[in-house]
Amino acid sequence: MPEYRRYEEVAVGDVYPAEPLIFEVGPDATREFLAATGGDSGDYGFEAGDRAPSMIASVYLIDLLKARMSPPGGIHAKQAIRFHRAVRIGDKLSLQARVTDTYVRKERPYVVSDFEARAADGELVSSGRITSIWGKDP
Amino acid sequence: MARETETRFDAGAPLPLVSHLVTQPVIDAYANASGDHNPIHVDPEFARSGPFGKTIAHGLMTLAYVSQMLNQWTDGAFDENGEIELTFISPVYAGDTVEVTGEIEEICERDGRQVAKVRLICRVGDRSILAGHAYQPINAENE
Repeated sequence: MPEYRRYEEVAVGDVYPAEPLIFEVGPDATREFLAATGGDSGDYGFEAGDRAPSMIASVYLIDLLKARMSPPGGIHAKQAIRFHRAVRIGDKLSLQARVTDTYVRKERPYVVSDFEARAADGELVSSGRITSIWGKDP
Repeated sequence: MARETETRFDAGAPLPLVSHLVTQPVIDAYANASGDHNPIHVDPEFARSGPFGKTIAHGLMTLAYVSQMLNQWTDGAFDENGEIELTFISPVYAGDTVEVTGEIEEICERDGRQVAKVRLICRVGDRSILAGHAYQPINAENE
């Protein structure tokens, strides 16, 4: 049974995970993502250096969100993302987020986080903001 | 070619329409691809006692559909330098057919870039799924 954080334990300034998470844009993950979303794999390649869909961000953002240790049942409320360059097969992205706001609206507990994904050389690949409704405290 | 680019980014120019039927197996496949097995998406029994009464698709899966539409429109430029800001306003349920398109509201400047500001349209029948905008730089040289 994983340990979950309670909403009251989340604070502005929290960085998650403590050390950046590494996500490799691999061919298998890319194929699986395209198959699951009905994407056209003809637009992309699966060899090292080939272009991959930037919205594979929707996979690595989930890895990032898991690092918050939020309880199950949470809901994605808002999303902002900017791509700074295309991603490529073989990219090893370094991911980290910081809580920038927490608030309760209509009895729903919200958490706002800003994130960045950087390539191995430090180049910014994507950045943005995630607003989530926290899952029910266990 | 220049005229084609200008036309594509004219206010009011039509954007592609992307359509996807979302079924529980589709939701499950996305859960496996993303590693997000939140029971609100994949566990009908858990979801029955949740706020929607049944399983819902991942918001980020809908975002992937939005991205497909924007890449079709820009011949892949969205992947390089596009931006979106949106709010999920209604869930997508198994059995829903999601349609995504957009309307260019204006050409404007954003963070020093000249962009086409697109109002995103994402709906299931008459029900809007999300509200928000995409911002697509018009000239790569502006990057």
